Amino acid sequence: MWRRSALSLVGLLVAASLAAQVPPRSAAVAPRDSSRGTVVRQRTGDSLGRLEAPEAAGRPAQRVTERDNEALVKDIEHKIRCTCGCNLDVFTCRTTDFTCTTSPAMHRLVLARLDSGMTEAQVLAAFQQQYGEMIFMQPPKRGFNWAAYVMPFLGLGLGLGLVVGVVRRWVRAQPKTAEAGAAAAPGETPAGVTPEEMERLKQELEKFEA
Amino acid sequence: MTDLGNIALWIALLIALWASVVGFVAGKTRRADLMRSAERSIFAMWGLLVIASAGLMHALLTHDFNVEYVAAYTSRNLPVFYTWSAFYAGQKGSLLLWALVVSTFGSAALLVNRRKYPELMPYVAGTIAIVVVFFVATMVFASNPFERLGFTPADGRGLNPQLQNPGMVFHPPMLYLGYTSISVPFAFAVAALISGKLDTGWLHAIRKWTLLSWLFLSCGIVLGMWWAYVELGWGGYWAWDPVENASFLPWLTMTAFLHSVMIQEKRGMLKKWNIGLIVGSFLLSIFGTFLTRSGVISSVHSFAQSNVGWFFLIFLVLAAVVGFGLLAYRWPALAAESRLESMVSREAAFLFNNLILIVIAFSVLWGTLFPVISEAVRGTKVTVGPPFFNQVNVPLGLLLLLLTGIGPLIAWRRASTANLKRQFLWPVFAMLVTAAALAAVRMSDAWSIVAYALAAFVVVTVAQEFVRGTGARHRLHGEAYPLALVRLIGRNRRRYGGYVVHLGIVMLFAAFAGLAFKSDTEVTLKPGQSVDVKSPYGYSYHITHQGISQYEQLNRFVTAASVDVTRAGKYMGTMKSEKRQHLDSLGNPTFEPSTAVAIHSDLREDLYIVFAGAVNGTEEAVYRITINPLVWWVWYGGLVLAIGGLITLWPTAQGPTPVSRRRAEPAGYVAQVGA
Repeated sequence: MWRRSALSLVGLLVAASLAAQVPPRSAAVAPRDSSRGTVVRQRTGDSLGRLEAPEAAGRPAQRVTERDNEALVKDIEHKIRCTCGCNLDVFTCRTTDFTCTTSPAMHRLVLARLDSGMTEAQVLAAFQQQYGEMIFMQPPKRGFNWAAYVMPFLGLGLGLGLVVGVVRRWVRAQPKTAEAGAAAAPGETPAGVTPEEMERLKQELEKFEA
Repeated sequence: MTDLGNIALWIALLIALWASVVGFVAGKTRRADLMRSAERSIFAMWGLLVIASAGLMHALLTHDFNVEYVAAYTSRNLPVFYTWSAFYAGQKGSLLLWALVVSTFGSAALLVNRRKYPELMPYVAGTIAIVVVFFVATMVFASNPFERLGFTPADGRGLNPQLQNPGMVFHPPMLYLGYTSISVPFAFAVAALISGKLDTGWLHAIRKWTLLSWLFLSCGIVLGMWWAYVELGWGGYWAWDPVENASFLPWLTMTAFLHSVMIQEKRGMLKKWNIGLIVGSFLLSIFGTFLTRSGVISSVHSFAQSNVGWFFLIFLVLAAVVGFGLLAYRWPALAAESRLESMVSREAAFLFNNLILIVIAFSVLWGTLFPVISEAVRGTKVTVGPPFFNQVNVPLGLLLLLLTGIGPLIAWRRASTANLKRQFLWPVFAMLVTAAALAAVRMSDAWSIVAYALAAFVVVTVAQEFVRGTGARHRLHGEAYPLALVRLIGRNRRRYGGYVVHLGIVMLFAAFAGLAFKSDTEVTLKPGQSVDVKSPYGYSYHITHQGISQYEQLNRFVTAASVDVTRAGKYMGTMKSEKRQHLDSLGNPTFEPSTAVAIHSDLREDLYIVFAGAVNGTEEAVYRITINPLVWWVWYGGLVLAIGGLITLWPTAQGPTPVSRRRAEPAGYVAQVGA
């Protein structure tokens, strides 16, 4: 039962992992892929390249400009959150959720603010003034927000102090226990025991605990 | 059948209530008849939940749209594969699945362990029954999957297109299996605390359950990452969303337990800590569900908000009070049997490993809850997104990676200088060479250099163990090297399975470090137009837009944009990204159009192309092209991790180790644990 279940699980994982790779298709132009279902009816655009059902292609797209790909624009948009409620940053939302109208508007606002001569810091400040601190993808490092950043490392420090303290106390207590219970100091062979026997005992203990 | 399912649910509630009372009474009075009654009640409860689940499945498959849940999550033209998965697509169905899986695991635990641990089992039965009571009561009083509508719609609303993906068929059940199976170790921990049988015996009972739970959770998390990557189209696989974090939290505490339990088994230490980790893992699995259902934290994954969140909060508080209350009650009886002898020992390394895992768990929990805390303290809402989690967790994760290499190689009790030199000479050398090589080729990201250097360190530590072990077998038994390797793993599955898990972790870290070199480019292309996109490896992809076509397929209308791709002058093939407008059975559009991403994946990187839309309703297309380095390593790292987990989980003839057996002696479990 165990073996069968485990084998099924391995099979499942292999299948899922293989499915993660989408091999390139050899066909020149879609649609020729009917592997995922039967193509019932095919429609093509007219001679001017107009789609028969443009509404099915999602929100009409705007042409991309060079400015859309500017590192500064992306950097700003990665720092501010789309206010549509998606929890994504503006860049990710506008390039992922093609039904959202908020992130494209915020993108235009970023461009407009940069066009007006604002620096990155000024653009971010303007967004904060408009929406409050929640517009940033991470809490600004000031005041109470520092708690967000400091607490994990404070926890690490405290935990480290605690663990090191406890371990040291235990380690320090160790020789006394050893002295009380053992006739020989560490490294010495107890009376009546040959070094060979000690070595064999050590090996047996290691095997026992491995 | 649907009504039968509803009735079965109510009877299951009553029987679970009976089992929860009679289990504890049986444990207290040690009456065999009551124990039998509790046990049979658990089996009966399981049978009734199977009937209830069959009832819901029947309603889904027969399109009984008078049932509100069926109408809300399916439609007549939904493929059967996804109609099946609609069982857990919504809150009500997922609660039923949860109850079913808890009772299944509970029944299995009773069957497997009832003769081995007679003093613990009544309490285990009672605790499992309480967990089931909670889920069934939540269903029947607040979120009943069999709730009927006042009318019967002609068709249902259908399943959200983003859930119509194979990843979504396997990912949620895997996560549920992970969340629910931790109920069994929790039940054993409660039983050990109540009964006072606090030796290593109960640990033998739960170690494999915890490992199983960890394995399911690991698979669930990786499958969830895969689903997010191929379906959501944002070019990533982990967004530090509260619900993702909620699945990560119990994984971290369980990982900590799987390490610290070794110290208890070998040295009789960390008993309180281990019980605390099991209780904590159970609470975190409930907490994750509370987050998803309550609407306390804003998340893209949230189910419809309802009063179910309150049920979870109350249960969470009660379980925490009982779990930690019992731990406090038994505190004096959980004293360590031995002490740490040196700061440079495996015990100490595992302690630090536990510390880092718990601090990561804390930082994730803290970041997830910080918006609520900030609002409560300052009245100001803040967003805690990926930049925060990356900033805080990258250094912690790298520390953990370092300990992944150190822990297994350092000697128990006390490591000598000779031991350290023998074990770490080559790993440290590999680490330094890797760091120097990456710096020489001018890798731009310092964290990535550290990550890859540490990855080399861990890989060499693991490889060294395999090489030495195989060599020793070859010399001692004269076995050929491949046979010696197989037998080496087979004879000590826990140890070498653990090493394989570590290799999987290294692969995941290597993939995460690759994210530093991700790039996005947006372009608009007319048919025949091309764009060159540079890879971080130096070569370029030449991408030529072929055109857009539209067609109907299954339950959707597809708009497909195709591009021809060459890499460094070599033709790779045609890739196709789609917009899918799902249709109801009358051919009317349902939901907003969704995106199907085109992905070409290899060892080095993924070329990830998203068709963003058509310009002015023509074949001029807007694309987002993402170069995602090393994503392949996430999926195969997950696979290696799962294989390692399976090796570790695989039953051995000899059972627990001699030391661990000896620790179970006082309770008289010696004769039983080996079975």
